[in-house]
Amino acid sequence: MTAISVSGLVKTFGTTRALDGLDLDVATGEVHGFLGPNGSGKSTTIRVLLGLLRPDSGSVRLLDGDPWRDAVALHRRLAYVPGDVTLWPNISGGESIDLLGRLRGGLDPRRRAELLDRFDLDPRKKARTYSKGNRQKVALVAALASDAELLVLDEPTSGLDPLMEAVFQECIREARTEGRTVLLSSHILAEAEALCDRVSIIRHGATVQSGSLDELRHLTRTAITVETARPATGLDALAGVHDLRQENGRLRFDVDTDALDGALRHLTGFGVVGLTSTPPTLEELFLRHYGDELAEDGASAREPVRS
Amino acid sequence: MSTQLSGASARPAAPARPGRSSTTAGTAALFRFALRRDRLRLPVWVAAGTAMVALQSVSSQSFYDTPGALAAYRASVGSNAATIALAGPPVGLDTVAGAVAFEISATVMLIAALMAMFTVTRHTRADEEAGRTELVRSARIGRHAPLLAAVLLSALACAALAVAVGSAATATGLPAAGSFVLGASFGACGLVFTGITAVAVQVTGHTRSVYGLVGGAFAVFFVLRAIGDIEGNWLVWTSPIGWAQATHPYSRDELLPLLLCLVAAVALTVAGFALLDRRDLGAGLTQPRPGRPAATRSLRSPLGLAVRLQRGAFLAWALGLALLGVVYGALADSVETLIAGNEQALAMFGDPDVGELVDAYLSTTFSITALLAAAYAVSAVLRARSEEGEQRAEPVLATATSRSAWLGSHVAVALAGSALAMAASGVTTGVVRVLQTGEAAALGRMVGAAVAYVPAVWVVAGLAVALFGLLPRLATALAWAAVGLFLVITMFAGSFDWPGWVSDLSPVSWVPLMPLEPWTAGPVLALTGIAVALLATGFAGFRRRDLATG
Repeated sequence: MTAISVSGLVKTFGTTRALDGLDLDVATGEVHGFLGPNGSGKSTTIRVLLGLLRPDSGSVRLLDGDPWRDAVALHRRLAYVPGDVTLWPNISGGESIDLLGRLRGGLDPRRRAELLDRFDLDPRKKARTYSKGNRQKVALVAALASDAELLVLDEPTSGLDPLMEAVFQECIREARTEGRTVLLSSHILAEAEALCDRVSIIRHGATVQSGSLDELRHLTRTAITVETARPATGLDALAGVHDLRQENGRLRFDVDTDALDGALRHLTGFGVVGLTSTPPTLEELFLRHYGDELAEDGASAREPVRS
Repeated sequence: MSTQLSGASARPAAPARPGRSSTTAGTAALFRFALRRDRLRLPVWVAAGTAMVALQSVSSQSFYDTPGALAAYRASVGSNAATIALAGPPVGLDTVAGAVAFEISATVMLIAALMAMFTVTRHTRADEEAGRTELVRSARIGRHAPLLAAVLLSALACAALAVAVGSAATATGLPAAGSFVLGASFGACGLVFTGITAVAVQVTGHTRSVYGLVGGAFAVFFVLRAIGDIEGNWLVWTSPIGWAQATHPYSRDELLPLLLCLVAAVALTVAGFALLDRRDLGAGLTQPRPGRPAATRSLRSPLGLAVRLQRGAFLAWALGLALLGVVYGALADSVETLIAGNEQALAMFGDPDVGELVDAYLSTTFSITALLAAAYAVSAVLRARSEEGEQRAEPVLATATSRSAWLGSHVAVALAGSALAMAASGVTTGVVRVLQTGEAAALGRMVGAAVAYVPAVWVVAGLAVALFGLLPRLATALAWAAVGLFLVITMFAGSFDWPGWVSDLSPVSWVPLMPLEPWTAGPVLALTGIAVALLATGFAGFRRRDLATG
């Protein structure tokens, strides 16, 4: 079951090629991280998924429908939180929540009250007087109080404080428990790491990698710090060992995941006294894909991994 | 932006100087930056005003090329209350130059006032509302600097308009002294509205409300001077537009009234600074009241939202047009007095039926009201464009709201609102006429005459919808340009020596001049058909295109 299926999506604005053959697959019931740096095409993709922009080419399916042609019918089943929430200055937050909910087909008043409480939002204030974070909360409450089966969230936590970020993560976990599908665009990697079952990483309007976090970790390196009884030699000759250096009598190096076993076997021959291994963070994945100085690694990493 | 502002901040930090100078620090940098942002806009405003004068000058000189033609013109204008209400005091009409000043001054005064209003607002309240002023003021920029820079920029534009108009009028063959007095009168009018805007941007926190306040002030001052000019009384002196026109270019060339304008402009600007000191950044003079914690039942559909967003503007326009209807109706009595007292006119019209002349006057006033209703309809349609451009359409269209329903709700407000506003002006004129004449039938005739313009108003609204659907990014500019064109056609088609097809460009000129002429179905059906076609084009275009934000 797929909630979202995009392949070869192209969208140009004048001479700018915003989306350049983007692929995205989101399974029903999963929380899918949609990651990429600023300007990489995340919001454009989401606008195409919402039928607000018309694709130039490629196929786009959303909840088994065509997002452009069946926009109204599909929108009854989804809720959207824009990245840059702008509200009507003279309308209060509570009114905006009700309006957006009703236009979607109704929201649960009990849930609305509960979410207002959890997000600590005063619904009486006119939108003009809300801070960025509070405008974000209005959109989040409106989306989460609906019974939508798909939540499309475009950088929903930019502007939220850490306390509210925690509330948001709780709400997303609850949504997953209820069986809802979530597409979460973000560049906050800790958030994606905490919430997402699978992620897609895009760059320059194209998908560079997608898969579960475990699968992605396999594509990258583990950082090892080791202290041995006798000076360890010959590591630099092993394939898959990078960036070897000596620090305070300890050896530090990064090792490709498939070369990890060989490296450890080699080290035991020198009497391991202490060892720490740090799994790659999403941050490192990200930096590896976007750091231009690591471009030479790009060729091998570009192979998409599908589950 | 960064280059200009960093230029100011890169200087070694001045020691903190208490006192006056610090609140205006950075004015020069902001002024240069504002000049750069408006390097196209201001020349367009100045050129528009100057071109109107030059065109009028050339056209009038060929139109009134004999003393007889000029005398006939003088006779007809001297007896036409509608023309006097729209143009100004019928003074100095014994020369072509005087006729040029009479015909064009009200329009260019409006251009000068709008230029001042948009220029000052753009660099003060609009920036503040968008949060840019906060960024600017965090640099080494004094509290008063943004307003001072905006006022200076507007004053510079007014001066440029004065010089350009004076030069253009002289170049087209009018006496130089009078030409520069004419130009100065426009500049002075612009200065007063610079001051009025400087106050208005402090009073309210919203750009839209600023336009409402300043536009309302212009309307009030225009009506005051219109009544004063027709009645020939002191009311003229309650209006800055009256002061500027009291210069009587080419006949008396009075400069003293311009001093009044200057004093008022300075006083208003000083008041603006005083109010600025009494309010918070981003706020108006009053604190916003809290709203409802939950939406009422009316806010449950796209139409409910459009009505909620647009009701304030609708009420203001409807009230304005209704009041205008009262004024026009009240002045109908003066038409009779004017004619009775003008033997030349009586001779020219060949002992006319006075009732017919009153009808002619009333039909002219309704065509002006129709243009104002069309301007309202365009602003109501373009609300959809600003909702789209400012990304407020996106969350609504991401719900189960179709594009047609969303656009249709704003269009419905525009069509119904403009029709209601037109009817309101017919009702008020009618009631006043009933009170004047004692004939109950006058009410129906006036309402009919006003409502007859509704299809023409809807064509203009339809044009705005078509532009929105097909050319979203240009729609605002093009729709207003069309309104301006129709206004010029209606106001000047008679006095410019234009071929008939030019006046046919304006849908308003298709409508029979009721109550003078009888109602005919042909133009109404044609206009309705065109309106429907334009609306269909706009809706089809919007359904097919990308949402255009920013």
